[in-house]
Amino acid sequence: MNEQHSIVEIWVYLSGSPLFALFITLAAYQIGLWVYKSSKQNPLANPVAIAIILVASMIQYVDMPYSTYFEGAQFIHFLLGSATVSLAIPIYRGLSSLKGRALPLLASLMAGGLASIFSAVNIAKLLGANASITGAMYPKSVTAPIAMGIAERIGVSPTLTAIFAVTTGILGAILAPFIFNALGMKEWWQRGYAIGIGAHGIGTSRAFSIHPEAGTYASLAMGMNGVISAVAIPFLYHLFNK
Amino acid sequence: MISGLVQILLFQSLGEILSKFALPTLPGPVIGLVLLIAWLVLRKGINTELALVADGFSQYFGLLFVPAAVGVVLFLPQLKANALAIISALVVSVILTIATSAVVVRFLSPKASKGLNHE
Repeated sequence: MNEQHSIVEIWVYLSGSPLFALFITLAAYQIGLWVYKSSKQNPLANPVAIAIILVASMIQYVDMPYSTYFEGAQFIHFLLGSATVSLAIPIYRGLSSLKGRALPLLASLMAGGLASIFSAVNIAKLLGANASITGAMYPKSVTAPIAMGIAERIGVSPTLTAIFAVTTGILGAILAPFIFNALGMKEWWQRGYAIGIGAHGIGTSRAFSIHPEAGTYASLAMGMNGVISAVAIPFLYHLFNK
Repeated sequence: MISGLVQILLFQSLGEILSKFALPTLPGPVIGLVLLIAWLVLRKGINTELALVADGFSQYFGLLFVPAAVGVVLFLPQLKANALAIISALVVSVILTIATSAVVVRFLSPKASKGLNHE
């Protein structure tokens, strides 16, 4: 009895400090990375998706309100902004790859970005989803940290946007090889670029694992898509929702 | 390491300030990102400290959006009620997005470069 009492006390102490939230977040991500590596980097075993499911199940199991968890985990969350700024480095490295190919690359980005928004929003709307869901779909092909920033600016849920973005990345990384083969795409740089537009960071790491040239172009596409979408999506969103 | 972080935080702060006072529709970190690219283009290079921090961030990028995404627990009933709409929209849309981007980039690229690429 006495022992149980002290365990409860320790639990009350731990769950009140940021330590618990930080610990389960990092531990869950570590498990996710381990599963991802053991599965030979199968896109289905995405470490972020695994971490989200583990942490969400954990806080529901111990009955911790999300707000309490987030109070502790916000130290990790804060770094999102800094990580977004640091995307400048891979984009800068990819800039030389733009030379002589700027027109096809920019046109492809515009076409892909518009296809992403129109198809997702209209299919969801057609099947009865409400505005809070369709709104969160606008930035779903944008890399998650920028997508969440855009979601905040247009007044939709950053959480839903992050979930849609991660799901899109996983789906894109799995489906892209089939799409490219069906279309007869042969050039690595074109395959990489298209996967970077459709499936942001998750597609990019898949592209890097297949071919370095595909990876470079995927990361350039992801960066350009992030910057251009941050400008264009608030405009498009207000155009269609006013 | 520290000097790299200082540079990142400096550009992030500049971005936040500009976002607050001049460009409210753009997220501060995105403005910071663009400013940093401009700075790198002007300086014509990345210093090693900055590269170190940036590569560290990009390696564990996914970890950083876990806390916000765990908020999914608040949306579970809404997601379940709309599961079919959401899954159909995401699957069809990602196929269309990748296919459209691929087709456009291929048809706008000069065909002649094909042979030159294998130098």
